Amino acid sequence: MSNVLRPYLAAVRSTLTAALTLEDFASQVVERHNKPEVESATSKEVLLNPLTISRNENERVLIEPSINSIRLSIKIKQADEIERILCNKFTRFMMQRAESFIVLRRKPVAGYDISFLITNTHTETMLKHKIVDFIIQFMEEVDKEISEMKLSLNARARIVAESYLTALQS
Amino acid sequence: MPEIFNLSQTPITSHAFNADRSQLVVSLNSNDAQIYTRKGAEWVHTVTLSEHDKLITSVDWAPNSNRIVTASQDRNAYVWQEQVDAETGKLVWKPTLVLLRINRAATYVKWSPKEDKFAVASGARAIAICSFDPENNWWVSKLLKKPIRSTVLSLDWHPNNVLLAAGSADMKARVFSAYIKEVDDRPAPTVWGSKLPFNTVCGEYSSPAGGWVHAVGFSPSGDALAFASHDSSISIAYPNGPLINIRLPSLPFVSLVWTSENALVAAGHDCRPVVFAGSEAGWQEAGTLDDVNAPKSPEARSGLGSHGSVGRLNTGAFAAFRNADTRGQSGSASAHVDSKPLTTHQNTITNVRAYDYSAEGVSKVSTSGVDGLLVIWDVDSVTALTGRLGGAHLR
Amino acid sequence: MEGAFRKVDIDIYDEDVLQETELYAADSRDPAAVLDDAKQRQTAVRSLLAKNDIPGALSVILDDAPYGPNVEEAKVITLQTLLTILNTTKATEITGVIKSLSLDTQDTLMKYLYKGMAMPGWGDVSGSVLLGWHEKLTEVAGVGCIVRTMTDRRAV
Repeated sequence: MSNVLRPYLAAVRSTLTAALTLEDFASQVVERHNKPEVESATSKEVLLNPLTISRNENERVLIEPSINSIRLSIKIKQADEIERILCNKFTRFMMQRAESFIVLRRKPVAGYDISFLITNTHTETMLKHKIVDFIIQFMEEVDKEISEMKLSLNARARIVAESYLTALQS
Repeated sequence: MPEIFNLSQTPITSHAFNADRSQLVVSLNSNDAQIYTRKGAEWVHTVTLSEHDKLITSVDWAPNSNRIVTASQDRNAYVWQEQVDAETGKLVWKPTLVLLRINRAATYVKWSPKEDKFAVASGARAIAICSFDPENNWWVSKLLKKPIRSTVLSLDWHPNNVLLAAGSADMKARVFSAYIKEVDDRPAPTVWGSKLPFNTVCGEYSSPAGGWVHAVGFSPSGDALAFASHDSSISIAYPNGPLINIRLPSLPFVSLVWTSENALVAAGHDCRPVVFAGSEAGWQEAGTLDDVNAPKSPEARSGLGSHGSVGRLNTGAFAAFRNADTRGQSGSASAHVDSKPLTTHQNTITNVRAYDYSAEGVSKVSTSGVDGLLVIWDVDSVTALTGRLGGAHLR
Repeated sequence: MEGAFRKVDIDIYDEDVLQETELYAADSRDPAAVLDDAKQRQTAVRSLLAKNDIPGALSVILDDAPYGPNVEEAKVITLQTLLTILNTTKATEITGVIKSLSLDTQDTLMKYLYKGMAMPGWGDVSGSVLLGWHEKLTEVAGVGCIVRTMTDRRAV
């Protein structure tokens, strides 16, 4: 499992490292403002080409870099209906608590399940390589988490059915 | 060995030394500029310069006239001068507001070599050239506007006090004439041109793969211009000769300084200063000032002796097997569980400046970084670059 | 722009705003000529592949690759041809092949790898092959090569 995943995560890691070259940049459109250029998208020249890293249609990462912020969006693998529901609940749970995750965006970019917004303030207050590590770890964990939840959900359903049917037996 | 000073926990946006390097002004990613004084082996905070109400983006200290200029995102610049306070009789730093006439953030500031002018780059797609008006006792400015299309990120003065290089976010490095009739004598012709009224564009360059121009610098003679752009490349332009472009395998540079006519030091997101050497015939990377293989701290060495409980079995291979067993991680993944860059600076270097210089050239440079470190490097102790990916990329 | 509250984009009337087309030097070649050229290269690559000359085939297809608007068809042909080369190369040979390429070719190859990954499921695109090449190319050309893919507006 981890060996199949490795080149994918390595590509995300190197692309993210390349994108996290941010600096403080005051808005050149609005006076005395300083906002993430990737979100306001008012000056084309400070945005860079967005890059996609994908394993297949269902698993991909979009990195949109700009001069003072980057947006990283993840499409999480969803093989069946249960995984889709679990993934939806899981990402919603986290996005509702986005402020505790600091770099998490409250709403995913269209076509993706979860988005992160990393600005120059984050790279200044946290070590850059640790942010990269965090994102990679998140990607490793989220697949594991969802398949674990799926297993325990199935196990639970089996136990419930069993105990219900044993009651009928006697 | 480089001298390392930990000035703060916050990023150092910009730094500048006075003439004898006994004092240092820094902007610590805040609205105030701080002056530190050297006491033995340490820098002690002495004065706070507070007047700006937004982040200070750049500071510069004029060595001979002992004046500091600060530029900020609040669209203002102040010139600070040490004066005797009438009431207390002590020396204090007094600010003078500069009439910049720009309506966006000021991003970079630089005194001219003669210290009678300074240039302020801004997000208003303009550069303000400021000179002192003794009649009204204030600093007035004249704007360089055409053909700048985006925020100006960096500036450097030509040694003749008239030409100015500017790098901007519209992917261009340009050379302008900042000739001001009232201040300047008629400049002697240079390789950049002979007749130079204000706002003449003497050169416009860009790197083939584009990228914002983060840093510009004239060579000591002023006959060549180097610039660092966001496509991880360094370009050296000779106005009547070639434009040399060196691509790097590492992350982009954001600051550079010439150390002699044939060498320069650049640093940035790769967290270590890199030396380039060459001439009009060609340039190349000469190595780095940061010897990442030199033993610095025990935790930089991974694998051995990090967990005491297993005793002598605790080798790198053993740790790899244990990780594979208990955490389901393959060997290569275990290496980045607690990665730490091997470089001296732990985060982006924001600023490189000449520290110790004479007529022959620069012998020491200073760097300040987002990690709050100020490091003084010996320009001669160059080691070859080993890992092509550098400290910023560990797996 | 997202959000229905902003019905009129007033920023397009600002003359000072830099347009996409002003950010890079446009391709001076004629779109039809570029298309012909791409087709010729496709044939050239086939014969090189038959001789098992992979570095040669890569250089042929990647040098002066079409970029900018109006040459979509030529870009598609180039991508298809490139994918054939990438898919036929043995995993053990990749590093050696990449090392023999010029810096320009390496940068263009990186652009095409990202272009391929941006359209999963299209044609012969195989995620694992592209990721394999990406890993090896990053090892040889460094993260600087990825940075150049981001900054270079001459999109392939």
